[in-house]
Amino acid sequence: MEGKRVLIIDDALFMRNLIKDIVIKAGFEVCGEAANALEGVEQYRDLKPDLVTLDIVMPKMEEMDGITAVKQITGEDPAANIIIVSALAERRLVEESLTCGAKDFVVKPFTAEKLLEVIAKVLGEGTKES
Amino acid sequence: MDKSYRDLFFAESQEYLRETNKALVQLEKNPNDDEAINTIFRLMHTLKGMAATMRYDDLADLAHALEDVFDGFRRKRLKLTSAVMDVIFESADAFATLTEQIKEDKGVSLKVTDYIKRIKNILPAGETISHQSLKKTSKGKVETGDEVDRLKKLVDKNNNLFSVEMVFNEACSMKGVRAFLVLNRAKDFGQIAGVTPSEDDLKNENFELNFKFVILTDKNEKFVTEELSRILEVDEAKVSVYDPEPSKGKKGANPMLKKIQSMRIPVERLDKIMNLMGELSIAKSRLVQIVQTKDHARLEETTHFLERLVASLQEEALKLRLLPVSFVLDNFPRLIRDLSKKIGKSVDLEISGSEIELDRIILDEVGDPLIHLIRNAIDHGIESPQERTRAGKNPKGKIAIDVSRQKGHIVVEVSDNGKGMDFEKILHQGQERGIISIDETSGIDSDKVLDVLTAPGFSTAKEITDVSGRGVGLDIVRNKLEVIGGRLELESQKGKGTTFILTLPLTLAIIKAMMVVMGKDIYAIPLMNIRETVKVSEDEIKPIKDAEVIRLRDEIIPIVRLGKELEIETTPSEDGQISVVIVEGRVKNMGLVVDKVIGEQDVVVKPLGSFVKKVKGVAGATILGDGRVVLILDIVNVK
Repeated sequence: MEGKRVLIIDDALFMRNLIKDIVIKAGFEVCGEAANALEGVEQYRDLKPDLVTLDIVMPKMEEMDGITAVKQITGEDPAANIIIVSALAERRLVEESLTCGAKDFVVKPFTAEKLLEVIAKVLGEGTKES
Repeated sequence: MDKSYRDLFFAESQEYLRETNKALVQLEKNPNDDEAINTIFRLMHTLKGMAATMRYDDLADLAHALEDVFDGFRRKRLKLTSAVMDVIFESADAFATLTEQIKEDKGVSLKVTDYIKRIKNILPAGETISHQSLKKTSKGKVETGDEVDRLKKLVDKNNNLFSVEMVFNEACSMKGVRAFLVLNRAKDFGQIAGVTPSEDDLKNENFELNFKFVILTDKNEKFVTEELSRILEVDEAKVSVYDPEPSKGKKGANPMLKKIQSMRIPVERLDKIMNLMGELSIAKSRLVQIVQTKDHARLEETTHFLERLVASLQEEALKLRLLPVSFVLDNFPRLIRDLSKKIGKSVDLEISGSEIELDRIILDEVGDPLIHLIRNAIDHGIESPQERTRAGKNPKGKIAIDVSRQKGHIVVEVSDNGKGMDFEKILHQGQERGIISIDETSGIDSDKVLDVLTAPGFSTAKEITDVSGRGVGLDIVRNKLEVIGGRLELESQKGKGTTFILTLPLTLAIIKAMMVVMGKDIYAIPLMNIRETVKVSEDEIKPIKDAEVIRLRDEIIPIVRLGKELEIETTPSEDGQISVVIVEGRVKNMGLVVDKVIGEQDVVVKPLGSFVKKVKGVAGATILGDGRVVLILDIVNVK
């Protein structure tokens, strides 16, 4: 896990900071943060991170929202490790993003352990396949 | 399916059915009660999901049909008429019956399709929700069956067919999506069919924590298990080679499972016990220390502490067995509605104190007697609306069930404001039939009336039913109550109504008892049966015919020499005074002659082993602090 690079896409600063703290403490590097989907997709292209956390409910930015961001990223990089961050009410959206290639999801509110567990699973699978 | 899920299913569906019935009665009173409609819709929805999980397709279909009906109400597409209500009530009953039949595992005789057809008929023409959705599920099922068949044909040396059961962690959030993720992963290495519950139901979270599917894959069992277990929130992935005819689960050992077999316990109660256990282990380590230091003063202190702890622990443990009376009473509004409607009477039910808790075994036993009493009240107590109007009463009768706590007992009063009983006539009848003797009719008191009414076979006689205003089975009621250490009393006023008072012990596990000595042994007499204890001198005991009696105040009380009755050797007291325990027996009071009365004590009732179970006059045993075994006397049957 050490040194894996994480991109955090979330419109809420609070959530970005929370996730950042959790993953940094666990030894990851946060290579980028994006406050909207459009920015997130662009950063993914530039940074090619090992892992992305993506808030599924984000305001639309030039027709780009959470779901389209997932589609865009997995379209360009089918091996992308996307973890969806979602509230309980967004079942359909989470389902759809999983269909589009997101690897797993975590439901707000989550604990540090839960998030790291999901990350470990997703990265574990990634390395196994490659 | 795992037996624990099966048990959980029945326990929970019973609970939901009770809620359903409660809401139905509310709904009938007020057809615009949206809350009741929503409640029932939600309950049916949940039941459908649960039943489908268990593969009880008939139940699932029936719940589904009812769900559709209530969806119709919710959307105001369907009107609630009394005819519609009847169909719904019948279907709810059918659901209960069917559940019971499945549970008892003795074959299902109820034809669900009949009920579903009737439900469909109440949906207005052109209203196709029900038809469509029902068709969809049944068609879906056929398809999945076909799918499984198709996969079966593809099994060869490279491809295995496995059945998989996934169990999620209880803390799993968005389990629907989680299930979806599992299926997606599984599709990565195989073909999937026979998903149960259906994928739609999974997505809608219409399942508990587990679901099943069949997978055709070139991977081996180990790979599939590992791959699926790795998914987050998965507690267990059970993978086994597909067996076209799965054994239908182990049959329950006990076929008479109508009783409360499992129950929910509030977490705080368990926490309390855990706390006490913690303190107990502290006390234990203190004792170990004291043994080393031989510190007498601290030993005494710790012993007191331990005593207190054990007492609280015992109290808490007992509370685990408690359930609110509402567990039984919630069924009653429905029962009363049906009964009174059937005979054209109009009756309101008032329940108070249903939150009071009772030992679940007592609760099991008391349900039937209560139903008997209520049935009697409706059949014979409450007059017809015409009669009531003529008597200047509200044409609508009233039955009240009032539960209260009184001095270590629970008292349940069942009263009606019907025509009351004619005590004189009843006593007269009793006398004619030789149940009571002539001089006993001189003073009219309710206990004697009750004795007549509960004489075996008396109340079942038709001509007497008409007179007494009371019907079948009062003797059964009284017997049942006495078996669990309870008591039945009666109050009635002609023209005003009748009240039956049921006094029940809080629990069967611990009773208050009077400890008495006879010969070398100590015996326990349940305090519930005891009226008082007196001391008399030998010459106060007077022989009458072949019996002995004492006169206590103005009452003549027959004496039973317990030692003789139970064939125990007794030691007469030195001062010539004889201890007599006055007990309230089955038909009359009795004075039990004992050697010595020790005093009151809480005793834990232990049943006797089956080989000595039917010993006359003995209800059980208990163990004293010093290890002595004490028999608990069964006063009702001692003579």
